[in-house]
Amino acid sequence: SPVVPKNPFLGIPPQDENYYKTSSNTIKCKDGSATFTKAQLNDDFCDCPDATDEPGTSACPGGKFFCRNAGHAPLFLFSSRVNDGICDCCDGSDEYDGQVKCPNTCWEAGKVARDKLKKKIATYKEGVALRNKEVEQAKAAIAKDEAELSKLKNEEKVLKGLVQQLKELKEQIEKAEERERLQKEKEEKERKEAEEKATGEKSAIQREANEGQIEEKIDNEDKDVESAHDEIGVLDDSPAHQDVVDEYADHGAEDETSGDSKIEGSPVSKVEQHEGQKDEESVSTKTKDDSTHVHEINHDAGNEVSHDQPMEDGKDGSTDAEGLSKEELGRLVASRWTGNPEKETEGVSDTMDNDHEDNEKMAQDTHDEEYDGYASETDDDTGKYDDPDVEDDIDETYEDDVHDDATASYKSDAEDEVEFSDTTSPGNPSWLEKIQQTFRSILQAFKFFQTPVDKSEAARVPKEYDESSAKLSKIQSRISSLTKKLKHDYGKEMEFYSFYDHCFESKQNKYVYKVCPFKEASQLEGHSTTRLGRWNEFEDSYRVMVFSNGDKCWNGPDRSMKVRLRCGLKNEVTDVDEPSRCEYVALLSTPALCIEEKLKELENKLDLMNKEQPQSHDEL
Amino acid sequence: FKREEFRNCHQTPFCKRARSRSPGACTLTPHSISISNGDLTAKLLSKTDEQIRPLILSLSVYQDGILRLKIDEDYNHPDPPVPKRRFQVPDVVLPEFESNKLWLQRLSTETVDGESSPSTVVYLSDGYDAVLRHDPFEIYIRDKKSGNQKLISLNSHQLFDFEQLRVKQEKQDSDNNEDSGSDDNWEERFRSHTDTRPYGPQSISFDVSFYNAEFVSGIPEHATSLALKPTRGPGVEKDSEPYRLFNLDVFEYLNESPFGLYGSIPLMISHGKEGRSAGFFWLNAAEMQIDVLGDGWDAESGIELVKQKSIDTFWMSEAGIVDAFFFVGPEPKDVVKQYTSVTGRPSMPQLFSIAYHQCRWNYRDEEDVENVDAKFDEHDIPYDVLWLDIEHTDGKRYFTWDPVLFPNPEEMQKKLAAKGRHMVTIVDPHIKRDDSFRLHKEATEKGYYVKDASGKDFDGWCWPGSSSYLDMVNPEIRSWWGDKFSYENYVGSTPSLYIWNDMNEPSVFNGPEVSMPRDALHHEGIEHRELHNAYGYYFHMATSNGLLKRGGGNDRPFVLSRAFFPGSQRYGSVWTGDNTADWDHLRVSVPMILTLGLSGISFSGADVGGFFGNPEPELLVRWYQLGAFYPFFRAHAHQDTKRREPWLFGEKNTRLIREAIRVRYMLLPYFYTLFREANTTGLPVMRPLWMEFPSDEITFSNDEAFMVGSSLLVQGIYTERAKYTSVYLPGKELWYDIRTGAAYKGGKTHKLEAKEESVPAFQRAGTIIPRKDRLRRSSTQMVNDPYTLVIALNSSQAAEGELYIDDGKSYEFLQGAYIHRRFVFANGKLTSINLAPSSSSKSQFSSKSILERIILLGYSPGPKNALIEPANQEVEVELGPLMLEGGRGSSVVTIRKPAVQVSDDWTIKIL
Repeated sequence: SPVVPKNPFLGIPPQDENYYKTSSNTIKCKDGSATFTKAQLNDDFCDCPDATDEPGTSACPGGKFFCRNAGHAPLFLFSSRVNDGICDCCDGSDEYDGQVKCPNTCWEAGKVARDKLKKKIATYKEGVALRNKEVEQAKAAIAKDEAELSKLKNEEKVLKGLVQQLKELKEQIEKAEERERLQKEKEEKERKEAEEKATGEKSAIQREANEGQIEEKIDNEDKDVESAHDEIGVLDDSPAHQDVVDEYADHGAEDETSGDSKIEGSPVSKVEQHEGQKDEESVSTKTKDDSTHVHEINHDAGNEVSHDQPMEDGKDGSTDAEGLSKEELGRLVASRWTGNPEKETEGVSDTMDNDHEDNEKMAQDTHDEEYDGYASETDDDTGKYDDPDVEDDIDETYEDDVHDDATASYKSDAEDEVEFSDTTSPGNPSWLEKIQQTFRSILQAFKFFQTPVDKSEAARVPKEYDESSAKLSKIQSRISSLTKKLKHDYGKEMEFYSFYDHCFESKQNKYVYKVCPFKEASQLEGHSTTRLGRWNEFEDSYRVMVFSNGDKCWNGPDRSMKVRLRCGLKNEVTDVDEPSRCEYVALLSTPALCIEEKLKELENKLDLMNKEQPQSHDEL
Repeated sequence: FKREEFRNCHQTPFCKRARSRSPGACTLTPHSISISNGDLTAKLLSKTDEQIRPLILSLSVYQDGILRLKIDEDYNHPDPPVPKRRFQVPDVVLPEFESNKLWLQRLSTETVDGESSPSTVVYLSDGYDAVLRHDPFEIYIRDKKSGNQKLISLNSHQLFDFEQLRVKQEKQDSDNNEDSGSDDNWEERFRSHTDTRPYGPQSISFDVSFYNAEFVSGIPEHATSLALKPTRGPGVEKDSEPYRLFNLDVFEYLNESPFGLYGSIPLMISHGKEGRSAGFFWLNAAEMQIDVLGDGWDAESGIELVKQKSIDTFWMSEAGIVDAFFFVGPEPKDVVKQYTSVTGRPSMPQLFSIAYHQCRWNYRDEEDVENVDAKFDEHDIPYDVLWLDIEHTDGKRYFTWDPVLFPNPEEMQKKLAAKGRHMVTIVDPHIKRDDSFRLHKEATEKGYYVKDASGKDFDGWCWPGSSSYLDMVNPEIRSWWGDKFSYENYVGSTPSLYIWNDMNEPSVFNGPEVSMPRDALHHEGIEHRELHNAYGYYFHMATSNGLLKRGGGNDRPFVLSRAFFPGSQRYGSVWTGDNTADWDHLRVSVPMILTLGLSGISFSGADVGGFFGNPEPELLVRWYQLGAFYPFFRAHAHQDTKRREPWLFGEKNTRLIREAIRVRYMLLPYFYTLFREANTTGLPVMRPLWMEFPSDEITFSNDEAFMVGSSLLVQGIYTERAKYTSVYLPGKELWYDIRTGAAYKGGKTHKLEAKEESVPAFQRAGTIIPRKDRLRRSSTQMVNDPYTLVIALNSSQAAEGELYIDDGKSYEFLQGAYIHRRFVFANGKLTSINLAPSSSSKSQFSSKSILERIILLGYSPGPKNALIEPANQEVEVELGPLMLEGGRGSSVVTIRKPAVQVSDDWTIKIL
């Protein structure tokens, strides 16, 4: 016979009891489709399509069973769990057909749950405070950044004018000097022609010697400049230091127009490219050492297939396979299924496509790093042209920065900020005024200048011009980075503002995962970096950070990463996982998610749990 | 797919030679025909001098119209002696089959009308004779009822050829140097591989004709239509390949190809207009190539043409002997019964294993497993088995666990088992060559590996890298292997863990055609070429027997295998391997599974969703809706694909997939009954329409719809955004939509609206389907749940059906511990009749389950009550839904809560 519960109202939540406990003999199905008699309530036969008549049995597939679970939290179960031989409710009310005995464990389980909840509440409480502080700081920081931005914009305007005028002046001087030089040359020539027969050869020797001296001088200066500069000098084959500085200025200028992304066509980017290639070379050499055969396959592939073309393209691959050793062939065929044989065959190296991709990837990464390094060093470097006190300042902060680096959370692209820490500090005498003053004095001196030029005065102009235009490009790059920073969505209360310059790292086995909100997420293994995604957006009301369009996956989608946020007292990445090939998921605990409303919710829940005392558990 | 990595017929010397023979080439005739040991025996001698030794022929007759023909070397011949015994596949023909042999008493000789030479005639069964014609040599079965028309014959076109074993001689070798062609005989090269042939060529080929046939079917495994298309003859492309039977691990296999896949069963079934079927089975484990010859293929040959209409086929095998079986039918079901009486009936699966399986390469770690499991519960989707692919192992060493990802395998399994769920882990035949791996060390020390041609342990490349392969043809090694599955040896295994055998073709990544070299050596000097197609079978067998041993002989093994061979049905289920997530692969899964079913392997399925690639949600949903009717229902995916568990494609798709899976769970009692039918008769769970409607010609070419048992017809939807779908419903009776109850006429093609909720499925009028409508987390919790009977009345207001129940797990049913009921509805009365033997046996099975609902389709509403006898109780009759959830039809007549015990005798009369 059907299994009918002793209590006819089993499985009904308190708020619904009145619906069932009516005086009339028939009850409507909630969806209005039919009615059933009181005798049909919980009679283990489904009469309502919406399961209204069987809240306490498993007869209706769509139903929900309510267990009170006094002492613990009440629970709704799918009706498929009723009398299935598994104790789902801690009060045991879901199993009553005798096949299994479910003891009431609500008080014990509830205690555990309450303790857990209490802990959670404690975390939230502390977290909410941290978050509030964070929000306050974020607001201040934004105000500060906005103030700085508007100030910088003013300065930019003024400085732009100055630079323009200096440029004109410089050109005038240069023209004048040119005229003067031509004049001199002409005179010299005439004189030489006159003395030609007597002293012809001597003068030539003299000139060579002079040139040699100049070059030597440049070399010396170069030694002070950091290595990247060195590279420029070498690679560009640039004969004069002057050029380097000019180009450097150009770099800055371009920086302004193209944001801080790509700088194409500038000598600097040439350096990068070259670096990249170099790196690629060294990487493949390394791979070769690790696993000669793979490189050979790669090499073979290169003969028939263009280097960029993946080898999966059937014919070429298998024609190639003819020449392989048994082991190579095995690996090759295995790689069809696995894509990444390294994973499959333990430490055995990649096949060609993969390998190639990795090389590119690594080159790209080193390139990126190189670029960063370069930028910071040059920034530092230009400091030397500025006030000496500023330079000290930089060094100090920079060191702090380096120190931060060692911790899991650190500032990444902080150089700009550091660099300009002085510009906004009110204590310092305004450098802009100084420049303006200098400029005025120069103008004065040259107001009515004529040839021949006063050499000491004339020398000041290009120097001032260089310094000012360098300064200008720095301001412009700072403006651009500030603008970019302020453009992002930092949450309802700007609670994620401090994330902007931070990266969070987590070590999982052999990988280090690095999450840089608003920038990118990456996976580091030794020296190789794989980009898991570029910043995309927040999802799910700021509970998920989405990074998409990462490095291409062999045989798979572009890599991507979702970072789930949850309330915690520290900003910490945990539990990085790859549930689906090339789709990563990480957990980031942060005070930013410790929301006050949620805290209240939890507190209410605890209150409720505390109210439900065990003695009431068998009353239904 | 990389075609050039696999040999075509032209690159395969024996195939090339055989195909170039012309009809009439055979010069053999039988001599010294006599009876010995109840068999007809004869020597086959050549009329010319090319033959080096006579061949020995024997014909045996078995019950139920089965004729067995053997042709082998004469091992008693003194000079030249046979250098080696040719391989005759052991362990496939059931030992008990031999007891079905009819001992021949007498031979009669007659000269058939219009023939010049006499024939020897043997009685085969009522209505059938087996005939051995002397010259030209031919064997056929004739049907006495149809005026001695031929039914099936061998060598009617005299294409028979048998290359005899020889020994390579130095002198001969130098002689042969002038003849470049004969180099093939002693050595074969393919790509970078060389095959030494120490005994020269040893192939066998012959023609087989099926008379009055409209089409032939069978010889799995090919991704192609159910009715086999011609591969040679007029209108067939010149370079068309024969159907190849060679077990291969084919990466991204193609749809619509005669190409050999993972398994091989050399069984062909013909079917013709009068609903007549016949079958031919060649027990041979070497590479086989089979041509289906198109009408008029032999028009140019000079020999006398066969006058009776036939479908001719040409069978070629690289090695082995002729050990062939002819099945007279007469109906398709009879052929399958006859074939499975030789090779065995499908084993009875555990109930859980016919429910839904969730697999992926790979569920990464214990946490992943826990999450996936939890998500099924969260979405109230039932599933029974969670699978772990190769990554769960410690470095692809089978029987081990990755210590980081799966540190607590027992606990993990126990957690699943607490919800009645099971787990399957993969165990492949390649053993990592790693001295610190005990299994490898032991196998090496014991000499248990297959040897290469030079006698060293064969070393090939597979998942673990350098690997060796156990020589499973040796019973001692199988037994040793079986012991590895004990709880003691397989550390971390629990009673809820079962096994998956993959890569057992065997797959060897750096071997010829991604497999083992043909000259590798097995037990007792068997060359790999001789048993290749049975390698996976032996591995499957060893594993299955290991699980049997583990469970003390009373726990039915579940082992899924990719490779298969005749007899595999006794050891577990198979699936169609690495398919692709596209509509064509969804479509071809049906003829593939149907063909397997015809060939005895009833418990089979295709990866739901497609292994390679990412299915669009619509394709995935359609695949679930179809796959829910596969005998083996498992979702699986390649590791590079995106996650595709049922809840990942939005609420609507989650609901659709849930409903598809739930339909399977509702129908589990029906499926389980069908599995029992397969277990006792060999009849497949999933059947071609023409198996149920043998004389309905419209069904002959239909392989997009299929029957589940004899009561349910399912039509897949194989196109994107289909608005309509055409369904042919055979027979004269009505068909009822299983969701709406809407009735459709039989013998008609219906154009139906394609609904997103399901693929079309119909219950045939005149049948009764048992269901369990309460859905649980897994089948385990459904044991005591009540039944619903859906009675679809035919034009005479009658119907019948069966229900089989046992403990779903043990072998107690063999002792009679089961419930088997026949339900008959006639004259307004439903009767439950006991089909189980009377309970004199010690073992008993009882069920607490009652009948909660009886639904009558095709019964006009009106009655209010029904009377239950013998209890003499009245119950209500009302209108109710056909399906509690997901149904969309009008109300149907429902007997509410009859509450009779399902195990009892009773009648219910509608008042």
